[in-house]
Amino acid sequence: MIGGDDLPGGYHDRGPAPGDVDLDRVWLGVAAQVWRRRPGPAERAAGRLLRSPGLARALVTTPSLLLGWVIATVVILIAGIGFTLSTGTPWVALLAPAVAAAGIAYAYGPGIDPAWELSQSMAVSDRMVLLVRALAVFGLNAALGLAASAASGAAAAVTFGWLVPMTAVCALALAAATVTRSPNVGVAAGSAGWVIAILASQAAEGRFTAAITDSFFVLPYLAFAVCCAAVVWYATRIPRGTS
Amino acid sequence: MDDDALIAAVARRDDTALRELFSRHAPWLAARLRGVLPAAEVEDVLQETFLAVWRGAASYRPQGSAGGWLWGIARRQAALWLRRRGPAELLLPALLAADGRHPGDPAEAALSRAELARAVSALGPEGGPAREIWRLMYVEDKSVAEVAELLGVPAGTVKSRAHRARRLMRAALRHHEPVREGGGR
Amino acid sequence: MNVELTELTRRFGRTQAVTAVNLEAGPGVFGLLGPNGAGKTSLLRMMATVLPPTSGTLRLLGRDPGGYGPRREIRRRLGYLPQNLGYYPGFTVVDFVEYFALLKDMPPGQVPRAVATAIEQVGLGDKARAKLRTLSGGMLRRAGIAQAIVNQPELLLLDEPTAGLDPEQRVAFRALLREFGQRATVIVSTHLVEDVAAACTEVTLMDSGRIVFHGTPGELIARGQGHGVGDAPLERGYSAVLAAARS
Repeated sequence: MIGGDDLPGGYHDRGPAPGDVDLDRVWLGVAAQVWRRRPGPAERAAGRLLRSPGLARALVTTPSLLLGWVIATVVILIAGIGFTLSTGTPWVALLAPAVAAAGIAYAYGPGIDPAWELSQSMAVSDRMVLLVRALAVFGLNAALGLAASAASGAAAAVTFGWLVPMTAVCALALAAATVTRSPNVGVAAGSAGWVIAILASQAAEGRFTAAITDSFFVLPYLAFAVCCAAVVWYATRIPRGTS
Repeated sequence: MDDDALIAAVARRDDTALRELFSRHAPWLAARLRGVLPAAEVEDVLQETFLAVWRGAASYRPQGSAGGWLWGIARRQAALWLRRRGPAELLLPALLAADGRHPGDPAEAALSRAELARAVSALGPEGGPAREIWRLMYVEDKSVAEVAELLGVPAGTVKSRAHRARRLMRAALRHHEPVREGGGR
Repeated sequence: MNVELTELTRRFGRTQAVTAVNLEAGPGVFGLLGPNGAGKTSLLRMMATVLPPTSGTLRLLGRDPGGYGPRREIRRRLGYLPQNLGYYPGFTVVDFVEYFALLKDMPPGQVPRAVATAIEQVGLGDKARAKLRTLSGGMLRRAGIAQAIVNQPELLLLDEPTAGLDPEQRVAFRALLREFGQRATVIVSTHLVEDVAAACTEVTLMDSGRIVFHGTPGELIARGQGHGVGDAPLERGYSAVLAAARS
């Protein structure tokens, strides 16, 4: 640690430190203040709300809540608004679930967290982190999507109708990402699942917005979401690996 | 890297430069402070000194006298500390020496302490000019020039304030009215 | 006793990674030796509450990690360095150590000083604000050690901690282990036999999921007298015990 043993020439003659002064301790006090990170207002508020500074810190470091990601989401939704207004098809409602699924797949999990094994030994459990991050990403995407949907002048049924399918699609993406330890697989699974749902409803009822608006699907969507959540729960219980 | 370059680096928020500066200068700064303060306080003051260096490195003008600049900061921090925490007991030895008495008898010492506390309060509020002068010149035993530099006032002002402080103390201790000027140190 | 393992077993499908391990450890530095596949990492993972046992009992710091509350309490007092530790490349060393300090429920007021202490203890003081992506393998390993010790753990589990460290750094690291071993239980899994000799008060040798030796380094050396293969006395003891266990 810090010492005065190998100082350049001229400083020796000013005298060594007195024996009863602990310079290492002094340096630690200085370093603690110089190196410390001061959390921003969002993190402090989250810490009070969640009653855990660790959980708040994990939340603000979510990959898919970083500024770049959020901006990309907004851009996609604005494009959706544009397409909706020009073509009359509710593109926002069709895009929002897929975008959210991507966000969820990149929120947390073995594929995205390089220190995954270490995270599993933490007092703030990785499941809590997963839950909080997933809810935050979902909530943000839902809010942005609702705003975009309303801005594109869509009917109320369409504006809110895609929240349930979005839940199902996000759950699918998260389950796939967690089980395969790859966020890309999660995104692919979520997007593919959504595309299939849209195409199937097009085939069944002649319009693909049925996937969003038809209340027949609400229960199946929610049941599916619950199953996927159970898969995630199980997958985060037992880590893989031998010896 | 020489000291001037290090301090310039610290001004650019380079913490490794601060670490190097600490490594070089903390030992002798600690030794000098130890002459004035007890060991535990030296640690606190030294910590505050280097934090002040971290915050104020931008104001250093390279003149090759980094040591002097550092000591200036350390001394200011020490003075701040003394102002906040200096206990009344520190004044007793200085006062008794000035009056030719010696604290041999515990009862006498206890009486003196009580008298002293009363007399000190007669100098005015803590942090006021008379109290400060008293502490710096008679407790810390600084020269007029040093005190003038520390407080940022001319030497003449220091002398006249010291004179007034002595007058007030003497009067309070002897329970008399203020004596006309004429008594010297 | 900080660690009490009784007939601890861990199976993965058909494979028995750890079989009927009995171990007790109070404060001190304990070496865990053995060839690859011996079950050292699985054992360490069970003690780190990352892997649940298949059977047997496990008591850590006087608590049963089966329940959520006790497990959380154990984890607050635990330090763990896995064999493969990934890093967040954009984080600095301070960010990294502080992140895990917070996740270990350390009171935020204590965190800055604890982080500074841990970073200086592993000799990364001049790299504190460097981004992890700019560090060498040995420095990254030391950053990993720093996060393990930041909360002054009572149970410190290190899996191959000296990988990538040069000899001088290994000496400093062993001194750190001895210091921690005075108050805490430190368990070091390593295949570097000389690490064990220098720092550990007791050695456990595992092979194929079982404990084949438990005792002091001196006793292990004694087992190698005139029998084993190796350049150093401890290596000879190591190979002698393994040969005996497999025959």
